Amino acid sequence: MKKFSNLLKKEIKELVTAQLIVSLIFTIILFNFMGSLIKSEAKKGFEKRNIYVLDLDRSNLSTEVLNNLSFGNFRIKLVNDLIEKEDKNLAIKYTKENNIDFLMVIPKDFEKSISKFKPKEVEIYSFIRSLSMGSSIGSSLINQVIDAINRFISNNFLKSKFPEVDPEVLKNPIKSKEFIVVKDKLAEGSSSQVISMIYSQSIFIPIILMMVIMFTSQMVLSAIAMEKQDKTLETLLTVPISRKQIVIAKMMGAGIVGIISAGIYMLGYRSFMGGIMGEVGTSEITSQIIQKLGLKLTTSGYILLGISLFLAILCALALSTILGVLAEDLKSAQSMILPLIFLIMIPYFLSFFSDINSLSLPIKIFVLAIPFSHPFLASSNILLGNYSLVFYGIIYMLVVFIILIFISARIFSTDKVLTMKLRFGGKKLFKKAS
Amino acid sequence: MDIILQVENLKKNYGKITALKGISFEVKKGEIFALIGPNGAGKTTALRIIATLISPSEGKVFFRGRNIRENPDFVRENISYLPEEAGAYKNMKGIDYLKFMANFYAKDSREANTFIERAVNISGLGERLNDKVGTYSKGMIRKLLIARALMTKPLLAILDEPTSGLDVINALEIREIIREYVKEGTTVLLSSHNMLEIEFLSDRVALIDNGRILEIGTSEELKNRYSSRNLEEVFRRVVQ
Ligand SMILES: Nc1ncnc2c1ncn2[C@@H]1O[C@H](COP(=O)(O)OP(=O)(O)O)[C@@H](O)[C@H]1O
Ligand SMILES: [Mg+2]
Repeated sequence: MKKFSNLLKKEIKELVTAQLIVSLIFTIILFNFMGSLIKSEAKKGFEKRNIYVLDLDRSNLSTEVLNNLSFGNFRIKLVNDLIEKEDKNLAIKYTKENNIDFLMVIPKDFEKSISKFKPKEVEIYSFIRSLSMGSSIGSSLINQVIDAINRFISNNFLKSKFPEVDPEVLKNPIKSKEFIVVKDKLAEGSSSQVISMIYSQSIFIPIILMMVIMFTSQMVLSAIAMEKQDKTLETLLTVPISRKQIVIAKMMGAGIVGIISAGIYMLGYRSFMGGIMGEVGTSEITSQIIQKLGLKLTTSGYILLGISLFLAILCALALSTILGVLAEDLKSAQSMILPLIFLIMIPYFLSFFSDINSLSLPIKIFVLAIPFSHPFLASSNILLGNYSLVFYGIIYMLVVFIILIFISARIFSTDKVLTMKLRFGGKKLFKKAS
Repeated sequence: MDIILQVENLKKNYGKITALKGISFEVKKGEIFALIGPNGAGKTTALRIIATLISPSEGKVFFRGRNIRENPDFVRENISYLPEEAGAYKNMKGIDYLKFMANFYAKDSREANTFIERAVNISGLGERLNDKVGTYSKGMIRKLLIARALMTKPLLAILDEPTSGLDVINALEIREIIREYVKEGTTVLLSSHNMLEIEFLSDRVALIDNGRILEIGTSEELKNRYSSRNLEEVFRRVVQ
């Protein structure tokens, strides 16, 4: 045990390099920085925007339209009297000088053509000063302005034709009421809202999974490949400690360091996502509906998910150990990890873009045969109450892990750990000479 | 004299390649025994088998009378093996590397400290032991590793090409360290492709070529037998 802890300590120390620490700190700072940047940009998007208006019609209708527009997120300001002459180019110049982002020009004969049911063009100028997210949110305001004008005018028409009817009823004669059913639970509410909320809350689960699995396997792979590259493995294999303990110490070391660093990345990522999601906000009603439908992970749900993830990590570690033995040095280890990443990417993307149950049978079998698929599928299966699938996944991963660990311990206790793929450059110098 | 290591008809195949075609020799307690031969002769393969790293295709090895395949732990506890071109962990300080290795062999921390102290002396690296191994020269790394191999006073130290790739001065220093240490009771089995240096270092040599041992004896015996001035000449005559 003393020897084992001696080895484990070394494994951990070898993995916690200055490089790792720097990259962790850097990532956290970067994520935080981006998070707060996005937050402030997003806020800008929701601020009131000034719109300058040049009204070349000066009719009853145009005045009325403008009076009714001063609500929501925009503030209207008439520039007719602020410039020398009612001229479009002057108005553009004036708007630019005042650092205002939008200018709307209401054309001459606006009222006249509208009253004859001839659509008239209202010109809108957007001044792009940066390509940031805030300005893109701002530009969607234009559509809101146009919508508001259209709504106002058409409502006016309808009101004059059918004074006794609410124009909104005329436009939308039916109303709808939505219900959501999950298994045997039913709740009133909008399914799109519920799904998008669950999605936004659980979007980080596959990302954590992906990160943790990639991190830990990368670590154990490079830990073994480093021993080969630095020619320390042979020495290690002759010290009085069993091969099994060597394998386990490597996996544990990589597992511990990998999980911790993935956790730190996740914290950084959460604060970054908080910047994006936080502003959108989650509505109280929607979260009540989710609660009612049982679409929230309970403690036992989290435990199941944790077990599933843990087993996936173990499988990844064992698989990488085998790959690490095959690799000659760090460089080839890095290419060795490609097939592993591929195996993780498949369920990762599937979990985002498609429903596994809708895949054809051979593809489904292929996906389920990848041990890493199971934790990706677990979270939605747990939420939807398909526990048997989760249990099968856990048992399957356990079996795969046991087989893999058996193989890797086997490789470590035979010649293969040294002879596999090792190149021998030694030429027979003397033989030729003699 | 006691026989500490007995190698009987060792054979090793790597797939189609036959690296050892049946070699036998004995190492006596307290001597420096050298396997010498060209690259690819099978020296490393033989030493790896004795160090329990790989298993032979045929043949037996006895360490202090015990079959090594049945008692690998006994072997690992009582030998030190310095692999060919071995390295040490680059991010560790030299002194930490010695501590790390000592902890595998020591019964308690007092014994570990004795090992480390001894290693510090053997290595002669002084203050540089507080620097990371990554900053060491080839010669310094080799000294560190030799010190690590000898610090436990193993019954048998197996050193694969301990001086190869080193400059004259460093090679000389390493040879002196090895000679010095045998006086303290350690037996050394080493290999080299440099036949000239071995003459000065070892008590007995085995000439190995193409997986076979061609001759065994002290350098004097061999030189007389083949009326040669040095071992290189002996080797050339033997191979002819
Ligand atoms: N892992 C291996 N796979 C295939 N051939 C090997 C392996 N290790 C050694 N050999 C071959 O065995 C022979 C002996 O090699 P080795 O024991 O390294 O010789 P030496 O140490 O004397 O230079 C060489 O022909 C070498 O190519
Ligand atoms: Mg060799």
